Amino acid sequence: MRHPILSKRSRITIWWLAWAVLAVGQSLLFYFIYDIPLVLALADGFISMILFGILGLLVWFPLASLKSRDKFDLVTTANFIIIGGFIVYVWITGTRFIAGALFTERVGYTGLWNNTITYRIAAGVLLYGVIILTYYLILSAVRLAEKASRQAQLEAMVKESELKLLRTQLNPHFLFNSLNSISSLTVSDPPKAREMIVKLSEFMRYSLSGKNEQPVSLKQELENARLYLDIEKIRFREKLVYSEEIMESCMNALLPSMLLQPLFENATKHGVYESTGQIIIKTSAVYDSGNIVLSVFNTMDNGVIPAKKGTGTGLTNVAKRMELFYGNEAYLKVRRTEESFTVILNFPFKQEDNN
Amino acid sequence: MEKIKTIIIEDEAPARELLRHMLKDRDDITIISECADGFCGLKEIKENKPDLIFLDIQMPKISGFELIEVLDERPEVIFTTAFDQYAIKAFELNAIDYLLKPFSKNRLDEALNKALDRISRKEPKANPIDALIAHRPEEEGPVTRIVIRKGSGIKIIPLANISYIGAEDDYVMIYYNEGKALKQQTMKYYEDNLPSSTFLRVHRSYIVNLEKITRLEPYSKDNYVAVLISGEKIPVSRTGYKTLREKLNF
Repeated sequence: MRHPILSKRSRITIWWLAWAVLAVGQSLLFYFIYDIPLVLALADGFISMILFGILGLLVWFPLASLKSRDKFDLVTTANFIIIGGFIVYVWITGTRFIAGALFTERVGYTGLWNNTITYRIAAGVLLYGVIILTYYLILSAVRLAEKASRQAQLEAMVKESELKLLRTQLNPHFLFNSLNSISSLTVSDPPKAREMIVKLSEFMRYSLSGKNEQPVSLKQELENARLYLDIEKIRFREKLVYSEEIMESCMNALLPSMLLQPLFENATKHGVYESTGQIIIKTSAVYDSGNIVLSVFNTMDNGVIPAKKGTGTGLTNVAKRMELFYGNEAYLKVRRTEESFTVILNFPFKQEDNN
Repeated sequence: MEKIKTIIIEDEAPARELLRHMLKDRDDITIISECADGFCGLKEIKENKPDLIFLDIQMPKISGFELIEVLDERPEVIFTTAFDQYAIKAFELNAIDYLLKPFSKNRLDEALNKALDRISRKEPKANPIDALIAHRPEEEGPVTRIVIRKGSGIKIIPLANISYIGAEDDYVMIYYNEGKALKQQTMKYYEDNLPSSTFLRVHRSYIVNLEKITRLEPYSKDNYVAVLISGEKIPVSRTGYKTLREKLNF
């Protein structure tokens, strides 16, 4: 950790100003009480306070190593006291040594020293306490500021991911292309255009209603998928063929809303968008001893190199949402061949309570 | 006045129909052909030499940008796309125009007038499109394939088949498993857009596929060559050698 005083120019200034004030204070005190020459009093005051100022800066380093233990136990307390004792001792002997070297005996420094030694010890202990307090105040202020900025960062991240979610829900490519197709239909087939507008609206409403963790039935999810694929089918016509093979008993199974949407989006994106020929998309679901096995299959144009590599976040998110909703009994599997891609979801059969 | 020959290249039938409908009352424009993919587009452009093409960017097999890259003689191009955050970029780069679907008749006319203006003045037109290609707006992630011209057709090379890329004046030469092909692109572009996990610029004039390197040999003092599986030797600069060592962990 960086030194809380030395790391900032303004703090260094304040630090030494404070010691200057203390030095003047002590000098005046001795000057009035002991009636010594002012110069001697000032010299003594500044020598002792500059020395303490230096010691006070240095004491940070042992204190910081104590602090990193981050526990205020007996050992730490003992260490504080030992360091404090050492500092006060060094300060007093240091001051005496320097002053002794500077002043000749005749100025009566020894007398002053003997008179003030008790005061000096008390002042040393007090100053040491104040220094420790200062360090702690600065440290906690710094920590508070750090915490606040981390909080702000976190909030920004959450907001961004919410925005991203919204954007994927809206899927601009799909939306604008669909609107373009509808625009085309208004010329060639107006009743169909109206039908498509209704379908697009229903689909958008379903995807935007998204309290995403709200469970829906498989039946609802499939209805939504059909809306989506119907809309894609106006764009791609006979290029896109969709079929379903769902066991009736699966229809009431609960799943998080929009769980399947990424699978159909992937199937159209990697299948239909990338192919010049016909692509088949097929959904099947079977009930198997308390579990639903649901698969979304699509054919692919053989040997296609996609223009963009998928990031894989779509499927990862599906797996994550399944885990949140069903716990670890659920899993997602992918089967890939040269000509097809299948995503298989396996999850426990949950049903809405009838009451 | 002679009519402007136009080709529509767009994979979605309704979008083609709509465009055709919108162009119906323009008697200065004649649609000579329509294509649902880039291969057809390439063939039609070569055979019929249109003055203007409407080109979708997102299409199966090859994108609109990739198609433009392999053309010798480029007609005027109006891009059409549904959503592209780089559309503004394309405008800055002075592409003849960039229509966001769905677009209005007015917007289309505006684009057509710009194109007509350019065609009637017979301005050289290569530059704006080149600039656009160099920035390749539609792709965010790394490149996954390189499209080259092969005979009268085109060939899509997956990155795994590319052994290295060498600088050739204003072009680059792509060396792949079946030969080599010249491409109008910059080294900088490939350095920035090939996946950095497998492709490394080891020299001012060479980008190499790390998976094709078998060993490094000293060449002269302070100089190395990378020996590829094919036996070819690629010079490696001193900084290239340093990054290569980091990448290959030795």
